[in-house]
Amino acid sequence: MGSKWNKSNLMGWQFVLLPSALILLFSFYPMIQSLLLSFQSGKGNVYHYVGLSNYARLFSDPMFKQAVLNTLLYLVVQVPIMLMLGLVIAYFLNMPGLKFKGFYRTAIFLPCVTSLVSYAVLFKSIFAVDGILNRMLMSIHIIHEPIAWLMDPVWAKVAIIAAITWRWTGYNMIFYLAAMQNIDPSVYEAASIDGASKTRQFFSITVPMLKPIILFTAIISTNGTLQLFDEVVNITNGGPGNSTMTISQYIYNLSFMYTPNFGYAATVSYAIVIMVAVLAFLQLKVGGEKK
Amino acid sequence: MKKLLSVLLLVSMTASLLAACGSSKSSDSGQSGTGSEGGSASKKVVAWAWDPSFNGAALKIAEELYAKENPGFELEVVDMAKTDLEQKLNTNLASGVKEGLPDIILVNDPNIQKYVTAYPGTFADFTDKVDYSQFSPYKVDALTIDGKVYGVPFDIGVTGMFYRSDYLEQAGFKAEDLENITWDEYIEIGKVVKEKTGKYMSTINPNDEALTSILLQSGGSWYITPDNKGNFVDNPVMTETLRVYKAIADSGIAKPVTGWSEFVGSFNAGDVATVVSGVWQISSIMDAKDQSGKWRVAPIPRLNVEGAVNASNEGGSSWFVLEGSANKDLAIDFLAKTIGGSSEFYERFLKENGGVGSYIPSFSSEAYSQTPEFFGGQAIYTDFTKWSTEVPGISLGMYTQEAKDALKNELPNILNGSDLTQSLANIQKLFEQQVQ
Repeated sequence: MGSKWNKSNLMGWQFVLLPSALILLFSFYPMIQSLLLSFQSGKGNVYHYVGLSNYARLFSDPMFKQAVLNTLLYLVVQVPIMLMLGLVIAYFLNMPGLKFKGFYRTAIFLPCVTSLVSYAVLFKSIFAVDGILNRMLMSIHIIHEPIAWLMDPVWAKVAIIAAITWRWTGYNMIFYLAAMQNIDPSVYEAASIDGASKTRQFFSITVPMLKPIILFTAIISTNGTLQLFDEVVNITNGGPGNSTMTISQYIYNLSFMYTPNFGYAATVSYAIVIMVAVLAFLQLKVGGEKK
Repeated sequence: MKKLLSVLLLVSMTASLLAACGSSKSSDSGQSGTGSEGGSASKKVVAWAWDPSFNGAALKIAEELYAKENPGFELEVVDMAKTDLEQKLNTNLASGVKEGLPDIILVNDPNIQKYVTAYPGTFADFTDKVDYSQFSPYKVDALTIDGKVYGVPFDIGVTGMFYRSDYLEQAGFKAEDLENITWDEYIEIGKVVKEKTGKYMSTINPNDEALTSILLQSGGSWYITPDNKGNFVDNPVMTETLRVYKAIADSGIAKPVTGWSEFVGSFNAGDVATVVSGVWQISSIMDAKDQSGKWRVAPIPRLNVEGAVNASNEGGSSWFVLEGSANKDLAIDFLAKTIGGSSEFYERFLKENGGVGSYIPSFSSEAYSQTPEFFGGQAIYTDFTKWSTEVPGISLGMYTQEAKDALKNELPNILNGSDLTQSLANIQKLFEQQVQ
């Protein structure tokens, strides 16, 4: 028995060996190196170990605080809006009587295949002072003077949130749609017979059945929002002031715009890692299956 | 048997993978590293630049000139986007990987001190290789760190006030009315222009530091002091700069824009009467063919402080040679004899690519005295080069970007009318937090 166990297992291990080695080399090794780097400070290629002082610096760094606040604001405002919107759209697109289903599905999913930079540039021109949005609002007499959307700290954030919602709602919708199609129609039928309204069915059947998927999309959206970069850099470049700057953009600035301090930049990256881990843990606790 | 097969499979997979890595690596170095690896026998030098129709083209002119004296000399220009180039250089130098780096590299002037200090011993010392007295002093100041000069000065961004003579005439102003004015006079003119023609005087973009940089340098000051401290408090030039900036924003003479294309679009569409910008803006202005003959250039307005002049600078770059390059001496000689000391180079660069350098002997050449029809026959390059010798020399320091971002953080408050002294103290504090 022993030798047979060994033989078949050995085969398996051999196949796992190569991918594991590659993951170790290209994923875990850089992670450990950047962890080490996060304990160092300096500029360019002159570094020395400073212990935890980079981590202490995080807490007294107003730029970092600003970036975290901005990012958390995007997270708290945008992710729920997007997920709810995705869920509602998926629900409507899954209704049996709907005509042109394919067309709507394609139209709503289409933003997800556009490149991040090109759609960001498009949104920038929409929100420009003489952009299409101002012209539209002026032609229907809602406003009389063009609004400089991207120069106002609040409106600039609204523009960013609008952009990422447009880009990612369809992506989440597809997950919900797929999951909804897996719900047995007989459940709805039974509910209808028992006299449950459509709204009631949505909240008492659809949403609970989709719970694992909702949890999944919440975690990947959180993760994605914490790493938000392209949109902000291209639409507002962090401005006005630094009121739309994200943590990722701050890392980029520390490494490539400012006098390079890769040590401190690595520390900020690890701050993101910790935040993603904590948030994912909380989401699993709140929304996960109790076992 | 099965085991043997699987081992074979594993080995061949690993081998092919390693082979793939290996071959991609060698082709990589073949692309960009031949210069440093090929040795001096090949006489080939590799350079990185970011604009094939401007600085890349300049290298081609220099190559032609140098090859006449030195047959067999070869130059390979690798074009990439400016941010890509800077990222690539940063990551390469920080990781200590020298392979794949070129011999010659183009550096944006505000980055000079940052690179030289952050990567000591990486860039070649040019101190005795070029006659720096032949260049505009402010350009050489930017290259000088601890008494050593790194690199060869290249293009400059001496500023001027481009204006639409038709709009200003309509508002009742003649060319003399725009010479040697202050910013307060500029704003008053702007109000009249706005009233009489309905056109804006200029554009404003609170998220872009171009105007504040121009103002500061025209007063001989900068965001940071030469010893890299914040220069926001107790700096009359800074206070005056922000007062002027707020006055322009408040006066309603400036059209708000949010980005570069909107900025260029505003003068190409004829929305603004003046553009205060670097000499390199000429090509964008000339893109609007229908506006030919309507543009002129005057010196920029000056700040109302001691020592301020009607001249400043916006942008510009310089050529560096990497200390570790195998062709270091050849690269230095090439740059020193062409971009660092050939009037012919600068004449051709202006004629063929519209680039203006800071090499004083070339200023008296025929190319620099041309009178383009687009600017109503004004000898604009003669004017620009004259102003370039008046630009105050400043040290750009190594924390310019940090200081700009600190200022940007507070700028909305300043524009909303907060106490300037308090705001400046806040900026100074934020900057000191950033730089540690």
